[in-house]
Amino acid sequence: MNILGPIINVLFFPAGLFVLIIGLAYLWVDRKLVAQFQNRIGPRWFQPLADVVKLFFKEEVVPDGVDARFFVGLPILALAAALTTALYVPLVGLQGAYNFPGDLIVVVYLLSVVTMSLALAGSNTASRFSLIGATRTLTQLFSYEAPFLLALLGPAIVAHSWQINTINTYAGTHWILLTQPIGFVIALVGLMGKLELPPFDAPEAETEIVAGAMTDYSGRGLAIFQLAKAVEMVVGLTLIAALYLGGIGNPIDFFAKTLILLLFLAGLQSLFTRFRIEQTVKWWRYAALLVLAQWVIMVVLGQGVLS
Amino acid sequence: MALSLTETWQNTLASIKTWAFTNSPWAIHYNSGSCNGCDIEILATLTPRYDLERFGVILQGSPRHADVLICTGPVTLQSRDRLKRTYEQMPDPKFVVAVGSCATSGGVFLGCYGVVGHIDEVIPVNAYIPGCPPRPEAIIDGVVKLLQSLQKK
Ligand code: SF4
Repeated sequence: MNILGPIINVLFFPAGLFVLIIGLAYLWVDRKLVAQFQNRIGPRWFQPLADVVKLFFKEEVVPDGVDARFFVGLPILALAAALTTALYVPLVGLQGAYNFPGDLIVVVYLLSVVTMSLALAGSNTASRFSLIGATRTLTQLFSYEAPFLLALLGPAIVAHSWQINTINTYAGTHWILLTQPIGFVIALVGLMGKLELPPFDAPEAETEIVAGAMTDYSGRGLAIFQLAKAVEMVVGLTLIAALYLGGIGNPIDFFAKTLILLLFLAGLQSLFTRFRIEQTVKWWRYAALLVLAQWVIMVVLGQGVLS
Repeated sequence: MALSLTETWQNTLASIKTWAFTNSPWAIHYNSGSCNGCDIEILATLTPRYDLERFGVILQGSPRHADVLICTGPVTLQSRDRLKRTYEQMPDPKFVVAVGSCATSGGVFLGCYGVVGHIDEVIPVNAYIPGCPPRPEAIIDGVVKLLQSLQKK
């Protein structure tokens, strides 16, 4: 029993199969919403699943001039990092399968591992498009990482804990969204940057640099990267809903709150066009300043007023 | 017993594969010397009015991601090698759709000094869509027929 529990946790629920299915479903919701905003019918409900299955059946080309071990290993690293985060966040309203003080930081940095392996995969090729894509991915990572982390730490400070479960319980009684609106907006937009959604999709701008860091990936590697992105999306949405939107206590809470956030994400995606990379960096500089300003206000007013 | 089991498995796998391929054809568009009439029609096909995403078609930038190569225009001497290279960069299984009269037969450009001929002289073509240029409806019909022919195989 002692061994069976962790195995189920890792392979089926909450990490593993379950979060993959939820991730594909959310990917579909996102694409469908964007399609509806653009006055289109949009993809069918099984579309992300069909895409991933098809990619697994395709030939995988390992181009000349790459380190084959890295080329094959990096997508797996990305997916593993993304799946690990699913163990610590309150998916479907249940407590995270594992938790320890400070797991918020671990989750944020595991989410960065996904982006890092994407950038490494991009720089591990002979293709110039992948190289530019990797550079842009890293530039963007450095610009949004600080504000995103600061925005997620705001709730941690008022809850006096770095543990996601404790913050979640605390947020159940306090809507942190109301006291830290700037942090909420920046966390949400930071998630868009992490997922490289428009308007922050300069790293994979298909009109300029083919497909960015993913240019040389085909078949299995591409499918695994897509799965990692899907899991990252679910985990990120869960994290923001748990920290800012009054916590996640039960499945209805979970689906309602994350889907509302997804609606906002889809709306923002269809409202804005792609930023150039230096515009992205500029935007994030202001975002970081805004979060810092909010922190100063928090410190000045004292936590008693804000919490 | 073991043999029949593997056969069933193979059949199941094959049908899953066909299902996935017919439901998610990612396309890449290559212009090998067209007058741009056909390209504009292809772009029109991808606009919200016709919305190819409901069949799972997404326009991809990289040949490594694509399953269907949509070619327009006759093949010029200059673009012959590029067309071949784009085709060879695509991972198997891959399909080619020739859009427009020029792509299917050489059209009005046939016999020009700089023109090799139609697409089939350079790479194998799976579906032809005639018209100068073909309407978006015709292009959608051609893609759907290509997918149907996959299902029969
Ligand atoms: S078929 Fe007509 S529209 Fe298309 S490339 Fe040829 S001449 Fe142009």
